[in-house]
Amino acid sequence: MIRHVARRLAFAAFLVFAVSSASLVLARLGEGDYVSGALGIEARRETAEQLRARYGLDKSIGAQYLDWLGRAVRFDFGSSLLYDRPVRELVPERAVNSAILAVTALTIATLVGLPLGIVAGSRRSVASTVIRTTSIVFLSLPPLLTSLALVFIAARTGWFPIAGIRSAGVAAGGAALDLLHHLVVPALALALPLAAIFERLQAQAMGEVIHEPFILAALARGVGPRRIVWRDGLKAALRPVAAIYGLAIGTLLSGSFAVEVTTSWPGLGNLMLQALRARDVYLVAGCAGAGALFLACGTLLSDVALAIVDPRARE
Amino acid sequence: MVVSVRTEPRSFNRLAARDGPTDLVATLMHARLVRINKKTQDVEPWLAEKWTASDDGRRVTLALRKGVVFSDGHPFTADDVLFSFEAAYDERAASVLADSLQVGGRKLEVTAPDPHTIAIAFPTPFAPGVRLLDNLPILPRHKLDASLKNGSFASAWGLSTPTSELAGLGPFVLAEYAPGQRLVFARNPHYWRKAPDGTQLPYLDRIVMDIVSDQNAELLRLEAGQLDVTNGEIPFDSYAMVKRAADQGRVKMFDLGIAAETDSFWFNLKPGAFSGDPRAPWLQRDELRRAISLAVDRKAFADTVFLGAGEPVYGPETPANQKWYWTGTPKTPHDPAAAKALLASIGLTDRNGDGRLEDAHNTPARFSILVQKGRPRHERGAAVVRDDLQKIGVVADVVALDATALFDRIGHAKYDAIFFRASRTDLDPAISPDFWFSSGTAHLWNIGQPKPATEWEAQIDALMTKQIAALDEGERKRLFDDVQRIFIEHAPVLYFAAPRVIVATSSRIVNATPALALSPLMWSPDTLAVVH
Repeated sequence: MIRHVARRLAFAAFLVFAVSSASLVLARLGEGDYVSGALGIEARRETAEQLRARYGLDKSIGAQYLDWLGRAVRFDFGSSLLYDRPVRELVPERAVNSAILAVTALTIATLVGLPLGIVAGSRRSVASTVIRTTSIVFLSLPPLLTSLALVFIAARTGWFPIAGIRSAGVAAGGAALDLLHHLVVPALALALPLAAIFERLQAQAMGEVIHEPFILAALARGVGPRRIVWRDGLKAALRPVAAIYGLAIGTLLSGSFAVEVTTSWPGLGNLMLQALRARDVYLVAGCAGAGALFLACGTLLSDVALAIVDPRARE
Repeated sequence: MVVSVRTEPRSFNRLAARDGPTDLVATLMHARLVRINKKTQDVEPWLAEKWTASDDGRRVTLALRKGVVFSDGHPFTADDVLFSFEAAYDERAASVLADSLQVGGRKLEVTAPDPHTIAIAFPTPFAPGVRLLDNLPILPRHKLDASLKNGSFASAWGLSTPTSELAGLGPFVLAEYAPGQRLVFARNPHYWRKAPDGTQLPYLDRIVMDIVSDQNAELLRLEAGQLDVTNGEIPFDSYAMVKRAADQGRVKMFDLGIAAETDSFWFNLKPGAFSGDPRAPWLQRDELRRAISLAVDRKAFADTVFLGAGEPVYGPETPANQKWYWTGTPKTPHDPAAAKALLASIGLTDRNGDGRLEDAHNTPARFSILVQKGRPRHERGAAVVRDDLQKIGVVADVVALDATALFDRIGHAKYDAIFFRASRTDLDPAISPDFWFSSGTAHLWNIGQPKPATEWEAQIDALMTKQIAALDEGERKRLFDDVQRIFIEHAPVLYFAAPRVIVATSSRIVNATPALALSPLMWSPDTLAVVH
């Protein structure tokens, strides 16, 4: 197991290096650069060249990449051209915001999706039909649409803030409550489709497990149906959910572009989008690297979770 | 008051960046020597309380207000004005405002005879005079002198600068910056301006500038009362929603009439840009552009692109620019038959009966139109042009590019045609010479010519030189009418329709003076107020 984890960690390091490098090179390869976007069409050529020299954009891609690589091995990922701040400060700041959103969304999705999946998978009833239909609706809706619909409802009712992470001028004592208030719309936008995925996977797995011989044997021994479903059946049916759980964490942590933009959530996805639009090469590389790191960690977590719920996976 | 911006400012230093949010931050934090009232277009005394101009239009002497201090309490003197010009002209600083503070490509000569007087000498007679000074925010020497001397001015006052390091003469000071979220501005306790009734300005205690990257969310927030002002126009497809909210008293809507500037369509007219290209014999011909002008149905264009909230336009100025619009602007009719005849005159006819035009070498009449990605209005506009051209047998391919790629293509003259909106800082043509002069950096169709590439461009150069120097306003108008006549005749840039400009605020905003400007509602922030 330790060797397996070590191998996955090495792969994660390689993935981060490869994704950051590719992002930096690709961001440079496209037409135009940060300076042409910042100065617009009326810039004098001399002014533009001065700025390119200042930002190191006058060098060849190879030279710029080697410069960046030389600093990156010392954990200096350059300065954002857009924000004039070190990338290694900016990215963690925004990653924390993405993490808050991701953890909240994942918690809601888990608490809603798994129990509903168990209910829907363990017996056929009106409730299971309603759950299945609702899940299919949320599965068909991309998070962008869900977030737009929630933003619309929030705007109409005035119950929740539509954008941002905190209100201006909130006293320290009310900060946590204010954050929770702001979390409702973006967290639900991410959580509802995810809960639908969990519910469908869990229901399907439960539907299969419920007919396994060991369940029938337990029933024959007189074990109550509720205990069979929530203890024996659940453990056996967790495997498919555990397999995608880590991936879901990785994907959520690396930032959800659509939801973060729609709800103006200052997370990694929003930052990456701004960096790409402005062709802020160092920030693009930093955000992409962070995203790859989260994804690799998520995959690792998924493997570990799978090994816990299914001993066969350890082999 | 809560105002929204779509992106964060790129800097707190207006001389280092030209994006909209940076300009808005500068409007809140800094003051200029004079201000152009965007509503009346008149020049108003600001940090300079009065001025006198010499008879030859080459010199102007400004008297600065006394007793004015920066937001940190440091006195404001003529030395700060000298410093601001030094910074704008400093080559190492590579200021984005340097070009806008030149006359005929040469710098102004600025001196300070005493701590409260500024003397400015223009390199040539300059009719707009002090109007040019609206471009320059006055910066504090005591805060920025060191960076200018050591060559780091361009990166001074970046976004990581502590708010305590910033100082200005504007109505507000930056109190808090939460990256990715908002900027909070507090009232400048030392602001120098008072209302006519003697009330100390600004009226507002605080402005919260929220960064709302999505336009739909921005409008929903306005409708829900979570936002007071959006820093821009209401998009056409959202009129109905905002109008409903206005009818219910939840927002106030302002119809500013037809825009003073609109989207432009132009071809790459750089000589040699198409050498080796079989389309070279006709792609840069006046006849092609005139044919396109005849082929596009401007009324249908306004109805389709602006959803009816627009009017056809035929020249570089729209009727909204009342002072400079040429009333004799000919109204090009929608006449596809005449367009086809014009194209036939340059050898473009349907030679194989497929409904599409070809030249004598059977090269199809086909070109690409670049638009900026994420600008639905431009994409729609280019699509209307494409569809109208298809009816006369010309094929146009609309290609959307990122802003950076598009600007790069324009700068390097690597395109066939472009549909884009290039905005100006002032309606007076003498303040936007880079568009008119062949050597200008905003002479879109052929930027920065060493000498005029065509006879008509040389004529416009000569007329604009006179127009800028003429001290009689009537003479300036006549000269600029001539410029517009030549421009429309050769059509280096085509204009099809201008939109109506609609802006909105929450219902609690009072004293709003919306105007046709880059920031229609925020150009005069010290008089805005809210009612509780």
